[in-house]
Amino acid sequence: MPRPTPDRSCGVRAPRGRLVRRARLAGRARLAGTVVIAAALTAMLVGCSADVTRPRVEGSLGPVFANLYVQQQTLLGHPGLTPTSVAARPTCHRSTPGSHDKGAGSDWICQVGWTDGTGRPQSGKFELQVRSNGCYQAGGPTKIIGPIMIRNAAGKNVINPVFEFDGCFDTT
Amino acid sequence: MTAPVTTTSTDGPAMVRPRPVGRGRVITAYRWEIAKLAAQARTRATLAVCLVAPFVFVVLLDRQDRLPKDTLYGRWVHASGFATPLLILGFAAQWVFPLLTCLVAGDIFASEDQHGTWKTILTRSHSRSQIFWAKTLAATTFATAVLTVLALSCLTAGVLLVGHQPLESLSGTLLPAGRAAGLVLAAWATALPPLLGFTALGIMISVLTRSSPAGIVGPIILGLLMQLYAFLNGADAIRHLLLVTPFDAWHGLLAAHPYYGPLRDGTLVSAGYLVLCLAVAFTALRRRDITGG
Repeated sequence: MPRPTPDRSCGVRAPRGRLVRRARLAGRARLAGTVVIAAALTAMLVGCSADVTRPRVEGSLGPVFANLYVQQQTLLGHPGLTPTSVAARPTCHRSTPGSHDKGAGSDWICQVGWTDGTGRPQSGKFELQVRSNGCYQAGGPTKIIGPIMIRNAAGKNVINPVFEFDGCFDTT
Repeated sequence: MTAPVTTTSTDGPAMVRPRPVGRGRVITAYRWEIAKLAAQARTRATLAVCLVAPFVFVVLLDRQDRLPKDTLYGRWVHASGFATPLLILGFAAQWVFPLLTCLVAGDIFASEDQHGTWKTILTRSHSRSQIFWAKTLAATTFATAVLTVLALSCLTAGVLLVGHQPLESLSGTLLPAGRAAGLVLAAWATALPPLLGFTALGIMISVLTRSSPAGIVGPIILGLLMQLYAFLNGADAIRHLLLVTPFDAWHGLLAAHPYYGPLRDGTLVSAGYLVLCLAVAFTALRRRDITGG
């Protein structure tokens, strides 16, 4: 009588312990696998290049400013200018040290050079607030590009298109 | 639709009482769900607000001197009527879209728990899967209807109250009225994929928590957290996987040289959310023990 009891208990306990251990091991292996995959994915994702870069900001600001400058000159009664003749050339950087001219922020500074209607070279410093979605708000120097409201050729007060303007660029 | 249902029912316990042919179709359940939605005061009120609110918004904006310059097209709202729908589109993406769709999607499953009516509808001729798809389709229909009504109402309000002046593109060129109207509607249409993503999110939370408030507020809070992540300039790659990023995809349409990369990526991300959330909700509903409580 006393013999089968320890036998049975052993017979029941041993496989259960093994099963539990195996299940725990499998659980740990699965967890470890998930962690490794998640870490690899994160590393891959974080390692990707930034959405907001200097070439993208410069490539967008130049044409947008040139187009809006042509609009402003037309409003002021100087038609005949084209974006090509304005030839806006922006040079941008971020003023925060260590930013490597990458990433969203309100510290983007762009020095823009262009040609006005009389053929004289002009230059102005624009402050940009660039958002992570690739859209920015740019504000220029009032002395060179005029106040927020300007009087058009017909004598009516209208918004100065280059005083402050928005632009967006592709981040993919 | 009926054929696979009858074949599966022969090897299950439902063999005792075979389903009559011609009954138990998703479309029938869908019609009932739509009828239930149409009878709800909340649904009607939401659609009415979507119809009227843009006009009130434009009138209030018209009496103000300060322009909402922080949002795209905010500085042009007095200059062109086509700027109004784009301003509202940018603003609505923050929390209005998740709220509008989840008013129905977050409630459509949980309301059966609230009223204790699961047993009632499941003893009818429809299976759980059919009820699930009917309810999901109804929530999707509502989301599409809300988006359409809001888009048309915003465009009408802008054109009637401000005018149809040419619209400034995001590249500094002027778009003529006809082209601007088409682009505005296209821009609103790009909000549909992420909106359906939020619909699926609402359905999932509603099924898992069995609570309407959680189903309505949950997606809004998740949406706001995603906005916060984007605002704090988190890693760009993770930001691309957020469900609020596709709401910005319309920017590419309004450029002088349109770009569609964000729209393509955003649609894929939205589809991912849609499939994942619906799969979780479907599995949870199928496995749930409804007979026990």
